[in-house]
Amino acid sequence: MAKSKSIRVKVNGSERLATVQARRNLADFLREDLALTGTHLGCEHGVCGACTVLVDGEAVRSCLMLAVQAEGHEITTVEGLTTPDGEPGPLQQAFWDNHGLQCGYCTPGMLCATAALLKENPHPSAEEIRERLSGNLCRCTGYQDIVESVIAATK
Amino acid sequence: THDDAGEHGAAVAGGGTGRPKPKNVNQMVEFQRGDLAQGFAEADVVLEDTYRIARVHQGYLETQGSVAERAPSGGYTVWTSTQAAFGARDATAKFLGIPAHEVNVIPTQVGGGFGGKFVLVEPLVAALARRVRRPVRLILDRTQDFLVSHPAPGAIIRMKMGAKKDGTITALEAELIFDAGCAPGAPVGVAALMLAGTYRCANLDIVGYEVLTHKVSPGAYRAPGAPQAYYALESHVSRVADALGLDPLEFRLKNAVKEGDIRPDGRPWPRIGLIECLERAQRNPMWLNRKSCGPDEGVGIAVGGWGGGTEPATGGCRVNPDGSLTVQVGSVDITGVNTTFALIAAEVFGLPVEQIQIATNDTDHAPYAGASGGSKTTYTVGAAVLAAAQDAKNQVLEMAADRLEAAVGDLDMADGRVFVKGAPNRGVTVGELARLANRFGSRYRPLHGQGRSAVHTSSPGFTVHLCRIKVDRSTGMPRITGYVAIQDVGRALNPAEVVGQIRGGAVQGIGRALFEAMQHDEGGQLANATLADYAMPTSADLPDIEVDLVEVPSADGPFGAKGVGEPPACPGAAAVVNAIEAAVGVRVRDVPISPEVIVDGLEGGASR
Repeated sequence: MAKSKSIRVKVNGSERLATVQARRNLADFLREDLALTGTHLGCEHGVCGACTVLVDGEAVRSCLMLAVQAEGHEITTVEGLTTPDGEPGPLQQAFWDNHGLQCGYCTPGMLCATAALLKENPHPSAEEIRERLSGNLCRCTGYQDIVESVIAATK
Repeated sequence: THDDAGEHGAAVAGGGTGRPKPKNVNQMVEFQRGDLAQGFAEADVVLEDTYRIARVHQGYLETQGSVAERAPSGGYTVWTSTQAAFGARDATAKFLGIPAHEVNVIPTQVGGGFGGKFVLVEPLVAALARRVRRPVRLILDRTQDFLVSHPAPGAIIRMKMGAKKDGTITALEAELIFDAGCAPGAPVGVAALMLAGTYRCANLDIVGYEVLTHKVSPGAYRAPGAPQAYYALESHVSRVADALGLDPLEFRLKNAVKEGDIRPDGRPWPRIGLIECLERAQRNPMWLNRKSCGPDEGVGIAVGGWGGGTEPATGGCRVNPDGSLTVQVGSVDITGVNTTFALIAAEVFGLPVEQIQIATNDTDHAPYAGASGGSKTTYTVGAAVLAAAQDAKNQVLEMAADRLEAAVGDLDMADGRVFVKGAPNRGVTVGELARLANRFGSRYRPLHGQGRSAVHTSSPGFTVHLCRIKVDRSTGMPRITGYVAIQDVGRALNPAEVVGQIRGGAVQGIGRALFEAMQHDEGGQLANATLADYAMPTSADLPDIEVDLVEVPSADGPFGAKGVGEPPACPGAAAVVNAIEAAVGVRVRDVPISPEVIVDGLEGGASR
């Protein structure tokens, strides 16, 4: 029988208490238990990057982390990148303004990966952006408008 | 393992008409014209070779999935990520044995389709919901998606081309073998048509085979059949030009088709922009500077094209009491086409685009539209939206004429207001008119435009790609250092979207050249059914892609627009291999490229 465990995590600024199965991954916890469906799953094994979220400010593939491992940590999903009144945050606005998405499925992961990148390096070059986002697949854009969106967000 | 298709196909003798159809061939397509032997006799150079291109997956980031439940009123409601809401409705109803109107498909946002999301699990999920009497959700995981969805067929294409010293192509013989998997439907016909119809040639003998194998049957993937055809054609054309000592772009220009030229199927090409694209490429700095690349670096060129689909469509345009418009469509928004619809309606009414709302309705409520695919959404649904907005505008003008006691011809409309020409104070806002028409006891009919389109002439889109590559001699790894996509788009209604489509399509072509192959074991089982094992291009693999839009307006598309999504997926693979040959003199015949082949080629000297 699957074991359950109570966890306490901070998600997008709110304390959340939940009982989860030990095997539940963070992505499913966010999507199914917390209804934060902005986090997308594309491959379920850490390759495509669509499920990237921030754990204590660092980019993490939520499909590769168990929800129980998030105990005591602070998680930011794409929903947490908005302004306090729910409008697109600066990074999201930069993607909007620069056509940084087409179907939008990879976008939450791109945004979270970018947030982590810019925290570390506020003014990355196009080459550094391409390198750092190379773990996030996009099938629509050819990446260029994503790179331009990130550069726009640094200005 | 598209070799197994080759082995089956190899049993087929080429040449002449009335070829027998082998038992494992589902469909054959043949195009003949002129006298092939005579054509080869006239040629100064005859070159023959065989090209292979792998089976590849659409690679949408969102896997396929649906939710179905029995509706309270009977019938079924299906939520699904599909390009084809009405198609999914009809297939589900047929599978359940119930009338189409008893299924309501609610199309959700599509996380990438590229032809792969027409109908897949919807009928199954609805049948399960019927069986268990509960809502059923099935979301495929990535491996399941790889295993059961319908990818693009691999192909083996044998080319034999003859040309004269002056660059005239005199003969083309080709054999196309498409791996159809276990069920019919491989797009070998369109492949043969594009392969033999892009350059003028008096003497043709083209045969295509759709070979049945023990794999999943292919489906549509961005310009089905054309990337395979252009891979072979454009690889070969560059080599024939080389053999003649001619510039590959000049050679293409000399033979490129234009309006009125007869296609292999006997029909004339409509107005197309292939020559315009080639002329633009001639002036592009990457092409002009191709001789001054760095060491082991070179520039390749390739053409691509797509016929463009058509399908009737309907649209609605409701004028709201706040002066805004609600445009109702039955087509699914894939990567921003709804924005284009908004721009079309905004243009008709002279309103800011923010004043236009697009409602993508479910199949119970939507005006009919075909699938969002085939590069026909803007072209055909856009035409319906244009007609609907014009109809609504006419209603607005008629009502305003009545209110203002003026003739329709004396009215002007600007900034959401209708007024008498020369007397701008005598006017009424569009919102006021809608309020008057949406009121208890009103004598005015509601302002609601309808548009229908049945554009049945397609507007083919052609494109030229330039690719600059540097090859690492020690590893054989090619690195793309520059890329240019020049495309005739008719008219770019939403340039950001058009450019985005072109870049995305180009990268899928690059993926075919450098990375992508569905690999099967001896038993026909897919061996690389994960995104770790099936490699797709990442941001670090690619340079910036320069896009140059050519605008040769279509006759029937809204404001001259043409479909733009599919042509850019066609030339990439050949542009890459042609660049590799220009860089280091090694000719790659099979894609995706194995760097080992390049290293072998370098060690053994140039293989021409």
